[in-house]
Amino acid sequence: MSFSNIFLRPFHTSKECYHIIKMSRLRVVDNSEIGRRAMAEGKPPKCIHVYNKKGVGTIGDKVLVAILGEKKKGILVGVKKHQPPRVPKFDTNNIVLIDDTGTPLGNRIHVPIPVMLRTILKEKTFAKGVDYTKILAIASRFV
Amino acid sequence: MARVTPSKLLNFISPKIHLYSRVSKESCNLPIVTALGQSFQIRERRPAAPKPRFPLWFLKKERVQYNESLTVDNKNFIKEVSHDKFGPPAIISGLSTYDTPSPLKEQPLVKGEWTENTKRCGLITRKIGCYPMWDVKGRLIWSTLLQVVDNHVVSFIPSENINSERKNRKAKNPLGALLIGAESCDPQKYTKEYCGLFAGAGLPPKRFLSKFFITPNAKIQPGTPLYATHFQPGDVIDVAGVTIDRGFQGVMKRWGFKGMPKSHGVTKTHRRGGNIGGGGEKARVWPGTKMPGHMGNKRRILRGLTIWRINTKYNVLYVQGLAIPGETNSIITIFDTILPLRKKKQAPAYFPTFYPSDLDDPLPEDLYENSVHHFDAPTITFEEPK
Amino acid sequence: MFSNLYRQCLVEKHFVYNLFPLCKWSQCFASSQPELATESTIQAFEEPEKRSIKLEQRFIYPEFLPDPKIEWRNSIRERLERQDMLKRRSQIEIPEFYVGTIMAVTSFTPHSTSKKNRFLGICIQRKGCGLRATFVLRNIIDNLGTEVAYHLYDPTIEKIEVIRLEKRLDDELFYLRDALPEYSTFPLDMEPVILPDNTPIPVNTTQVILKPRPWVGRWERTDFKGINREHMMTLISDKMKMQIAKHQKPWEKYDLMKQYRATIPEEEQKEIFAEVYSQLHQLELGKKKSKRIRTFVKPKKSA
Repeated sequence: MSFSNIFLRPFHTSKECYHIIKMSRLRVVDNSEIGRRAMAEGKPPKCIHVYNKKGVGTIGDKVLVAILGEKKKGILVGVKKHQPPRVPKFDTNNIVLIDDTGTPLGNRIHVPIPVMLRTILKEKTFAKGVDYTKILAIASRFV
Repeated sequence: MARVTPSKLLNFISPKIHLYSRVSKESCNLPIVTALGQSFQIRERRPAAPKPRFPLWFLKKERVQYNESLTVDNKNFIKEVSHDKFGPPAIISGLSTYDTPSPLKEQPLVKGEWTENTKRCGLITRKIGCYPMWDVKGRLIWSTLLQVVDNHVVSFIPSENINSERKNRKAKNPLGALLIGAESCDPQKYTKEYCGLFAGAGLPPKRFLSKFFITPNAKIQPGTPLYATHFQPGDVIDVAGVTIDRGFQGVMKRWGFKGMPKSHGVTKTHRRGGNIGGGGEKARVWPGTKMPGHMGNKRRILRGLTIWRINTKYNVLYVQGLAIPGETNSIITIFDTILPLRKKKQAPAYFPTFYPSDLDDPLPEDLYENSVHHFDAPTITFEEPK
Repeated sequence: MFSNLYRQCLVEKHFVYNLFPLCKWSQCFASSQPELATESTIQAFEEPEKRSIKLEQRFIYPEFLPDPKIEWRNSIRERLERQDMLKRRSQIEIPEFYVGTIMAVTSFTPHSTSKKNRFLGICIQRKGCGLRATFVLRNIIDNLGTEVAYHLYDPTIEKIEVIRLEKRLDDELFYLRDALPEYSTFPLDMEPVILPDNTPIPVNTTQVILKPRPWVGRWERTDFKGINREHMMTLISDKMKMQIAKHQKPWEKYDLMKQYRATIPEEEQKEIFAEVYSQLHQLELGKKKSKRIRTFVKPKKSA
């Protein structure tokens, strides 16, 4: 379905356009090798699973992406959809690629990430589980 | 054609009635069984509203306003008489009313003892709108404003007199009732009988009346004014009101059905409900099936709402949430919650009700719950990490 | 060039005062005017100053006017709301700003290590009445468009600074999302521009150039003055051009009832501002005093 087709619908679809669901295209914002290559080749990763109960991803959720024929996990660090007051909204849906232990594949994030991610990721991290807080260390700027 | 005479029908039914009347209480809990042996379920979420019946104290309220050809002097004289009787017209806490002298000057408020089973009376309020507040951690709280509109106790009905004519039931829990009136009006608007309801308390007729069941120890003398500080910030209340009248609505709006597709060969059934019952043995529509019909305009109770803040000047309660039934400027009754885990465990601050002469100093204009941010307090800051 | 800006601003104000005295938001009907008036019409619309003193406040404090929807109105609720707004205003200075103004908001947050957060951007929307008034700031940081919405009366906001006070041609600038990035890029350490007292608010008449489609909105169907229309027409297909006429509603400017329902009557506006005028005036005086003290202290420190 092309973008213009969605606009011709008689009902409001922009809210759903911004949902991060299966098959949504995302943008890798770290400098990992695979992420950089995928964005440069014009083949942005495609979300193939959202690890939450709703199936619609938002800031701090883990997603499984298909990127250049591989399956990788990523954390959403900024979304397009409408946000409550004080929470930033971005022009793109951004992810940072991580491996199974929560270590980011790159070593720098080149866009701003929301400050509330710090609290959200700390809450998701347990003593013997995956440590998501490592991506906070490679962030360049918080808004 | 064989005609069934009433006596024959009675013969047919009576043994069965006899049979079912002997069934023990426990087995009656499951499906409702009719006299003819049929059983059915009620599948609607809520039982149907009871048949509206006028309460016993209900009297004809409105009078026919025919032209009495009164002169201006006569009209002024009638006004003067009513002002002499009920006090001069005044604006009290933002509402136009009569400055009625309190009967409690002669006979002070009799105060009962609070126990755990005590039931206090409630208040009649008007929903005046919603606005946001913030808590001390900077989170948004939505509140609905309920203004206590000129409430007075009209009369006390002892437990013996309640429903005595309608139902001959034995009162296990001897609850009395308080009749509360709200919004004083011009007595010329109403019938003589209706105005007579208020004569005992020395009050002008009220626009709204409500009956609250109370235990006898929470009794209040007729004529006593009720204030918003009947409750305290942090109290948990139930609110009852009539929901917004939406008229005759289809299933998509009334019950949230999906409807059917706009295209793919679908014709004339885009907003219809679809099937309403199966065939086979039970070839009929089950009672309680969700169908189009009148939506709203039903009395609904929302339980367990916290009072965040009270304005003592205008008698306004700031109650949690936006889902209080009814439109803005509609009448809502509020009372202590009956939820077992959240109802009062300790005596309320003012029992049976708040009376201003109990206090030496007047209350501050705004009373806040502990977790609510005061609007005139400085900006919320968070502690620096150590 | 500047004199031209000021003149346009004057023209706009006069339009709003005289043709649409009931209008709540400063530009909502002004923008629907086909063309701006000439200088001769300004003089024709000259009014006694007395009337404009209180009505002028509806541009500076638009959220003091309640929601015009008649079913939701209640005089006591509105009064209580105004009192709470004044209480909050006594704690922090909420400056005069408009859509198009560049602002910086410093707010306290439990998430950040410094427990503070500052965001600078252009105001692209201002809406809501009473305590629910909000505004949205937009900026492009590290080549990524970022937007943050704030409640105007949020108690965690420490400071609202106006960096460059100006208006745009429209009362909503959501088209900046589809415009080239330079139109919404502002350095985070921008120096505030101070306007001399009693000068009219300058109107920025830039017309933005849009990026190629897809867009977040159907901008060709709107009549936003701040979009470069000639360039926009080169970006859309012939089919879309044909549909423009179909979606236009030229009769709406004659719909007096629609305007009436969307506005608060002039008498009520005067009543409302008469109620809050003295307190707002006191706050303004206090603001000026503190400003003077601040400017006096600064040279001492540097010396």
